[in-house]
Amino acid sequence: MTTNRPAVSATSSDTSEHAVRGDVVVSLEGIRKSFGSTEVLHGVDLTVHAGEHVVVFGPSGSGKSTLLRTINLLEPPTAGSVRVLGIEYGPAASRARRGNPLELRRRVGMVFQQFNLFPHLTALHNVALALRAAKKLGRREAEERAAVALQQVGLLRFASRFPAELSGGQQQRVAIARALSLDPKVMLFDEPTSALDPELVGEVLAAMRRVAESGMTMVIVTHELNFAREIGDYNVFMDEGLIAESGPRGFFDNCTNPRTKQFMAAVL
Amino acid sequence: MALVISVAVGLLVALARMSKPPLSWLAAVYVNVFRGVPALVSVIWVYFGWSLLLGVSFTVFQAGVIALVLLYGAFIAEIYRAALQAIPRGQREAGLAVGMHPVRVFGQIVLPQATKIAIPNIGSMFIGMVKDTSTFTVIGLLEVVRVTQNLNSTTFQPFVLYTAAAGVYVVAAFVLDFLFRAIEKSLATPPVGPIGRATAGRRTRRIEAVMQRVEAVSGSRGA
Repeated sequence: MTTNRPAVSATSSDTSEHAVRGDVVVSLEGIRKSFGSTEVLHGVDLTVHAGEHVVVFGPSGSGKSTLLRTINLLEPPTAGSVRVLGIEYGPAASRARRGNPLELRRRVGMVFQQFNLFPHLTALHNVALALRAAKKLGRREAEERAAVALQQVGLLRFASRFPAELSGGQQQRVAIARALSLDPKVMLFDEPTSALDPELVGEVLAAMRRVAESGMTMVIVTHELNFAREIGDYNVFMDEGLIAESGPRGFFDNCTNPRTKQFMAAVL
Repeated sequence: MALVISVAVGLLVALARMSKPPLSWLAAVYVNVFRGVPALVSVIWVYFGWSLLLGVSFTVFQAGVIALVLLYGAFIAEIYRAALQAIPRGQREAGLAVGMHPVRVFGQIVLPQATKIAIPNIGSMFIGMVKDTSTFTVIGLLEVVRVTQNLNSTTFQPFVLYTAAAGVYVVAAFVLDFLFRAIEKSLATPPVGPIGRATAGRRTRRIEAVMQRVEAVSGSRGA
C-alpha cells in the first residue's frame, strides 16, 4: 500500500505537464483481487480522465492485465471501488446499489491479446453481432454500421472473410473495429500486439494511433515501450500487484524507482 | 426423433454437470448409471417396469424413444461437456466484453462452436442408436432383427439371413455417416461442401451488398 502512488495525488505536481484533463471516466480505488488464497492486486488506485491515454506496463505477473480486466468486471475485484462514468460497479457499494455490468460493458470497449474473434462468424458479423446484442439494432442497420467500423480500420474489403482467413494483424484490427463500433467512452487494450509476428505489430499500432488521435480515452497494457512513450499521457509501472511508480509524459526518462529503471533497462 | 430429444437432454445434463453441486452430482450419477445400462434392460424397465410400478403404460414406440433418450442422453452429455470445455475462455469473455447477456453469449458464441465439435461424435451415437433398436424385439417392435427371426423360423437359413440383416444396418450407417458429414462440412469456417458453399454464396452476396452501400455513402462524402 505504501509504495502505491495513487494517480489522484500525482495530479498536484503533474498538472502543468498534462494535456487539458477532462472529466473522470474511470476511477479505481483500493482495488484488491484474490484468486483463491493468492492476492494478485493489493489495493490499487487509478484515475483515468476523458481523452487521456493511460499506459500500464510492468513485468508479467505484476497484475497489470488483471487490473485492466477489473475495469469492465471481467475480473470482479475482491474489494475496492470501480467507478465508471460516475456509476459504482465494485464491491464498495452493496450488491443492490451497484450498476449493471451489462450497461458498463456496453460503454467500455476491450481488445484482447488473443484477439478473441468469433471463429464461426465472418469479420462483418463479428462486429454486427456485438451491435445487435449491445445496441439492439436490427440486422440491416447492424451490418451497415459494422461495415463502417471495418472501413475505419481499413478492412472493409475483408468483410466476408472468416477469422481463420485473416492475418493476426487483420484479426486484431477487426477486434478493434468490433469494440469501437459500440461508441465506447473508454477503450481497454490488453497487450494487443503481444501475440503478433513482429512484422504485423505496426499495422495494429497504427490503428491504435488513429483511435488515440480521435480523442478516445484509452487504457493500454503493453510491452511496446516506444509506442507507450509516444502516446502515453499518463504512465503507470506496476510491480507485484501494486503501482510502483507513475507519471505524466516524459516519465520514461525521469523515473526514479530503481525497480522501474531496472525493468526499462531490460526491455528497451 | 429419439436423437433430437437425446441431444437436448444431453446438452442440459452437460450443463448440469458443469454447474455447482448438488446439481452436478445428480448429473454425474445419471450419466454413470445410464452409460452402463444395456439397451435391453433400459427398454424393459421403461416398457414393463413403469407400468408395474407406476401404472403408466407406453406404446412400444414411446417406450423405445424414452429408453433411447435415457441411454443416449448420458453419452451425449459427455460429448457436449467435452465440446463445451474445448471452447477457449476468451470467447466467452469477448462476448461479455461487448455487453452481451451471458445467455446470449452461450447461445450465439459458445454453443455453435461446441456443436461443431460435437457433431461427428453425435453422428456415431446416432448409428449406435439405430443398432440398439435391434434389442427392442423384446417389447415386440417389428424391426430388422425381428423380421429376420421370423423368416429364420420358416426357412432355417440363419447365416444368410443374419448377414443380410447386418447389411441393412451397415447401409443405414453409411447413409447416416454421409448425412452427418454434410452437416459437418456446412458448419466448417470457411465452409466446404455443396450445402456450405450454397449458404456461403448467399452470405457473401449479402455482405457485398452492404459493402457497396457503405462505400457509396463514404464515397459521396469524399472519404
